[in-house]
Amino acid sequence: MTEQRPADTSRRSFLGAGGAAAAAAFAAPIVLTSCRAAPSTAGARLGPALSDGRELTVGVIGCGGRGGGAAFDALKAGPNVRIVALGDVFEDRVRGVAAGLAKAQPDRGTVPESRQFHGFDAYRKVLATNCDIVVLATAPGFRPAHYAAAIDAGKHVFFEKPVAVDPSGVRTVLEASARAAERKLCVVTGTQRRHERCYLEAMALVQDGAIGRPIAAACYWNQGGLWHKDPDPKLSEMENQVRNWLYHTWLSGDHIVEQHVHNIDVVNWAMGGPPVRCVATGGRQARTEPIYGAINDHFSVHYEYDGDRLCASMCRQQEGTDGRVDEVIHGTEGTLLTSSGRAEIRGRFRWTFAGDNPNPYVQEHVDLQEAVRGNAPYVNEGKRIAESTMTAILGRMAAYTGKDLSFAAALADPMDLVPKDPKPGPGVKQTVAIPGKA
Amino acid sequence: MSNHDTALDRRDFVALSSALGLAAFVAPGCASTVVAGADEPKPLKVALIGCGGRGSGAANQALKADKGVILWAVADVFPDRMDACLKQFEKHPAKDRVQVPAERRFAGFDGYKKAIASGVDVVLLCSAPHFRPMHLAESVAAGKHIFCEKPMFVDAPGYRSVCESVKAARAKNLNLMSGFCWRRSAPERATFAELEKGTLGSVMAMYGCYYTGPLGTKKREQGWSDMEFQVRNWQHFNWLSGDQLVEQAVHSIDKINWAFRNEPPASAVGMGGRQLREPIPERGDVYDHFAVVYEWADGRRAFLNCRQEPDCYFENTDWIAGTKGQCFINGWGPTHWMKDPAGKVLWEYPADGPKPDMYQAEHDELFRAIRAGAVINDGDWMVVSNMMAVLGRMAAYSGQKVTWEQACASQESLSPPQYIMGPLEMPVEKKPGQYKVM
Repeated sequence: MTEQRPADTSRRSFLGAGGAAAAAAFAAPIVLTSCRAAPSTAGARLGPALSDGRELTVGVIGCGGRGGGAAFDALKAGPNVRIVALGDVFEDRVRGVAAGLAKAQPDRGTVPESRQFHGFDAYRKVLATNCDIVVLATAPGFRPAHYAAAIDAGKHVFFEKPVAVDPSGVRTVLEASARAAERKLCVVTGTQRRHERCYLEAMALVQDGAIGRPIAAACYWNQGGLWHKDPDPKLSEMENQVRNWLYHTWLSGDHIVEQHVHNIDVVNWAMGGPPVRCVATGGRQARTEPIYGAINDHFSVHYEYDGDRLCASMCRQQEGTDGRVDEVIHGTEGTLLTSSGRAEIRGRFRWTFAGDNPNPYVQEHVDLQEAVRGNAPYVNEGKRIAESTMTAILGRMAAYTGKDLSFAAALADPMDLVPKDPKPGPGVKQTVAIPGKA
Repeated sequence: MSNHDTALDRRDFVALSSALGLAAFVAPGCASTVVAGADEPKPLKVALIGCGGRGSGAANQALKADKGVILWAVADVFPDRMDACLKQFEKHPAKDRVQVPAERRFAGFDGYKKAIASGVDVVLLCSAPHFRPMHLAESVAAGKHIFCEKPMFVDAPGYRSVCESVKAARAKNLNLMSGFCWRRSAPERATFAELEKGTLGSVMAMYGCYYTGPLGTKKREQGWSDMEFQVRNWQHFNWLSGDQLVEQAVHSIDKINWAFRNEPPASAVGMGGRQLREPIPERGDVYDHFAVVYEWADGRRAFLNCRQEPDCYFENTDWIAGTKGQCFINGWGPTHWMKDPAGKVLWEYPADGPKPDMYQAEHDELFRAIRAGAVINDGDWMVVSNMMAVLGRMAAYSGQKVTWEQACASQESLSPPQYIMGPLEMPVEKKPGQYKVM
């Protein structure tokens, strides 16, 4: 315990009741380090390093990089967990993850061929098994349908972000999350920053007033390019779109939704909920080849939160450009700076996270499994991730259309990009969004 | 003196000037040739350089600002622009003071030299921005008082040239009034004076936007050379206008610079593109949207979004976050207020407060200063506002994080090989990741 502050100053009051007087009392900034007990408000959220208890069985829907990773992370979360079913649109994907699991974790990760499902309806077959938890990690366009089906099948859910690509999908997720709450089905989502200790400690401090009232923010996901898959002539157009899903808005939501939702979620966290409106720009300036579908390669959104508070969000996927992935929260008393593995408060109070920062991709499974076993309070992140996903969708809609959009109006929009019964065949037609015309 | 109904009398102007750090001081002996007599103002001869819409407007404002103003000479690359401009003054109330016979209408790329040398006291520099640094240098060398439209330059060599001219103008006690018109707008002045007083505490972040429609184009006519085509469509060519960010959104950047006390940022990250995708030569190489994040070494930040796209949402506002609350500025509204974090109004510009024409105010103040033997030199801050815009464009075009020093030292000159009406290559739009700041 090396926390340095007057002994009689409780954490809750460390900004003092009357800001100015308190400020005058402290000649020097107060330096907090994180080598101390977990902040009070986050105590419940900083789960144990391992989950243990009765055996939990896990089915995985979506066997790409993230689904395979999530399967391993679920196993790392605790010793008494088994993967019992796998599903993906593509057989090679299922076989690949099955082989990887069987090799690395033969006792808990070997999934018999009879429970390796492929095809557009593979998710139904996984949900029909007796697994306790399902991991939903397909292309995001399918997520709302998979999630609703999982809740209706009585499964606890770990679902990757984003959880939808359009307002209809978000509404589906909100409704299913309410049903999950009624049935006490646990729901955790893959915005792992919510399970990362540096973020949890920082946000606990912010909620205790360490930066005053958060009134301005910025967040970034600027990077180079990402992978793509050239069309396979043996596959239908629909299947090829699913293989190359990042570049199709109906599947990924565009990169602001697919990737930048992480940072937007952090800002929503600090601001206390989603924004009320936004105006945005965006375009497709460097990554223009047809293999990259019709999505944009950059977005800049100015979100407005209640109480006249703004956030500038910026994201980019352009090869050869400078990278930047982080969040900034300006409060009336200081500034919070965060990125993966790093959290710092500058201002009247100075604090830098310096403790252990357990792998958040594993921690999110620990936290889910502990809740499922009843070792931790019931958890349901469905509404929150639906709102953060919707925030990102709102930014995309504003950039695509060039309109001034409110969160409420966008959430009520009938837009539904995903085919009701996706199957091998023609793909979904898409064109580059031109503001004023889209 | 002025026949314009302005709410700012001389005393208010001095008070505001000192509050805002504007340079206005009486320089003894510098203006003996132009001080007005007791009854009748001595003539002040004016040359207009650049006879487009803005130039015509500036000439009108100069004529209205001071009853001694005589429009004495005009210059433009194109004779028809001069004729069209002067035709507008045939029925002007001050048409007797428009005394520009054919021999004082100077066409061509070097017409400005002859206009400056035609025996005038004041020059109005209103050509396409590319030419401004050379027009300004010539005007200062000839000892003229100057109204200098924004932007003053389009590239870093232009910045360095203008910096030299600003210094030389100061040494010669010449008035140098910039066309950053918000600085002469009464509600904005009152707002920024309030900001300077500390009503909002320390400024931490600012969000500006300039969402508007596209500018007009001119179809190529028979007989036009490449050069003529580009100069007549100057808004759409980076080398001529500096692109939208420098040419138009620089007004919003200037307000950022104002709020940040004319201290240059440490660096910028930007993005933008041509999302309208109109493959017509009139659209040149400029972007139709930009987004820039400016960061200062002490952790302050400013965010700018702008676009020129039709049928989209239009807005031109600024939000400032300070340690004591938020400020909203809508110059188009006009609405100007400051609130504390709880939403209590700390200050607002009265609904019935004066809102004189800011373009007229520029000329009223310029000619008043000339008459009084005072000197207004906007140079030091106007070059920062303008260079911030160039910095933002460099960051957006390149996808690089660009520092202030890098941008100011850039050796990239946008000048064509020669100024003749002849062949000129069509510039190619910039692709982030490929274009590099040199």
